[in-house]
Amino acid sequence: MVVRLRVGPVPEYTVLTVIGVVAVVLLELLWARTGIFRTARYWIAMAIVLSFQIPVDGWLTKLSNPVVLYNPRDFSGVRFPWDIPVEDFGFGFAMVTLTLMLWRRAEIRQADHDHR
Amino acid sequence: MDHGQYLVLMGLCVAITLPLEFLVGVRVYRRPARLLRVMLPVIVLFVARDLWGIHRDHWFYNPRFITGIHLGPLPLEELVFFVVIPICGLLTYEAVAKILRLARGTGPLRFRWPDGLVREDLVRGGSTPGGPRA
Repeated sequence: MVVRLRVGPVPEYTVLTVIGVVAVVLLELLWARTGIFRTARYWIAMAIVLSFQIPVDGWLTKLSNPVVLYNPRDFSGVRFPWDIPVEDFGFGFAMVTLTLMLWRRAEIRQADHDHR
Repeated sequence: MDHGQYLVLMGLCVAITLPLEFLVGVRVYRRPARLLRVMLPVIVLFVARDLWGIHRDHWFYNPRFITGIHLGPLPLEELVFFVVIPICGLLTYEAVAKILRLARGTGPLRFRWPDGLVREDLVRGGSTPGGPRA
């Protein structure tokens, strides 16, 4: 784990990741309203996805032989676990949550339609 | 071989989640219209976000481990990533729902094509093996 704390403007990847996470949560709470965050189904699925993100993302970002290289200027510098930039977890959370929310929304609409 | 590394990793993600559709028996690939409607905005949004990251030099790709096929500035592998990973998430989400449902059920657990895992007593129609007989 490499930690390089510094003062100054917050790096752009960090900012965009936080915006992405907040935007997806707001989209659920204000627009989609699927109730996904109150279900065990969602949280169990996310825990499983996270457990697979670590080896896959870990492989892509390992500093010994990186597939994807991150500009140290643009992220927090915190790499955990292994060499994974922590921002990646926010990125993954936003992407997968958005997908599951849209899927659940379609599922609910389909069920409403069928019962009419 | 090295150039295929990223793509092979994505292939493994597809392969490892494929049994969820065909053994557990969730319906994700078999709902292509819904899948497309859900995936399209996700792909557009995250490809755009990726292009911004590439444009701003947030990250770049080691030429040694990618095929070198690009769509504009976007490596093919990145597009594949934004298709594969959300689908893996959907298969997981559906599999969790199905397994929770199966865990609450009673009756013998069976595998039946194309439904995957089923509880026999959940089957309507009467003629289920091991079910009540007249």
